[in-house]
Amino acid sequence: MTAPAAVPTMREPSLARDLIALTKPRIISLLLVTTLAPMFVAGSPSWATILWTGIGGYLMAGGANAVNMYLDSDIDNVMARTKLRPIPSGRMTARAVLAFGIAIATAATWLLAHYVNVLTSALALSGFYFYVFVYTRWLKRTTPQNIVLGGAAGAFPPLVGWAAVTGRVELASIYLFLIIFYWTPPHFWALALNKQRDYGHAGVPMAPNIWGEQETIDQMFWYSVLLLGLSVLPVTFGVFGTFYLIAALALGGVLVWGVWRVRSLAARGVPWTAAAWWVYGYSLLYLALLFVAMAIDRHSGLR
Amino acid sequence: MPTSTVFWIATALVVIGQLMILRSTIRAMRGASSQRARRGIEWSYAIVPVIALSFVLAATWRAAERHDARTQVTGEVTR
Repeated sequence: MTAPAAVPTMREPSLARDLIALTKPRIISLLLVTTLAPMFVAGSPSWATILWTGIGGYLMAGGANAVNMYLDSDIDNVMARTKLRPIPSGRMTARAVLAFGIAIATAATWLLAHYVNVLTSALALSGFYFYVFVYTRWLKRTTPQNIVLGGAAGAFPPLVGWAAVTGRVELASIYLFLIIFYWTPPHFWALALNKQRDYGHAGVPMAPNIWGEQETIDQMFWYSVLLLGLSVLPVTFGVFGTFYLIAALALGGVLVWGVWRVRSLAARGVPWTAAAWWVYGYSLLYLALLFVAMAIDRHSGLR
Repeated sequence: MPTSTVFWIATALVVIGQLMILRSTIRAMRGASSQRARRGIEWSYAIVPVIALSFVLAATWRAAERHDARTQVTGEVTR
């Protein structure tokens, strides 16, 4: 008798798994880093503040992502990257997804206001509205600069984390906001360069489809140069010290080099898609490490 | 390295980067053969971050000066 052949196991879809998928947990993990690290830059938060801000932040971002999936269900059905999501695959109704998104965002608003402070709750809710109405409803399908201004939606988490500890919005927290804002174009366009066909099918006017590859790569390069300068500026008014300065220069320098490599390959007519994927992956690591470096700089003797 | 040197080098990178982004956006808008009204909207999208950034840079300069003054006072007191 022969042993049965190994059958590749695929996870069975379940309601719980779909509800988690609606919140886009992989994206939220980075949002949580950019929420929690600024809390340690702003001060020494209590465990309760960290816990409630983390839970509230997850629910608010998850709610925004679920409402985004409701609003984008027509194009999610067209794009290979998104057509297995709960709505296009028929596992959940659009109305149920909308109700889930609004319910968890409402819960987040109450949790943050009750257990942290009202400003934190208001900022998180502003991020929700910005993502749903300004980015998804207004900019996404109308302009190739959609993710330039839309990048502000993903930049709210540091403001939320900072306000949770200090109860204020300060220049340093605005810098953390701007770092994510200016990080978004090189990060997203690295993906969009490799997914042009998908975005083209869906009718989403991403920069590479409208402006062309060369112009998009050119802008990615200048965005990463700007980001390098911007990430260093908080050192000048004493928020961060030498450890952060070295980390920001090293991490930012590698990002500039990565985008420059894509640029030079494209200029020579050499295949650049692998280099663009590298930039996409590295940019995620860059943001996470930069924010971790901020927290280390503030709480270690390395300043 | 003095704080003001770091400020001016970093600001130069930010300003050059932002100007090159604006230049590239204008070039891209011309190439995309969009309508005049649409071009106006695109132009406004491009200019919003520039305005915000200039306010932040001005606030940073003032904050850096205050920080330098504080550091000098602390240095004199400890001496």
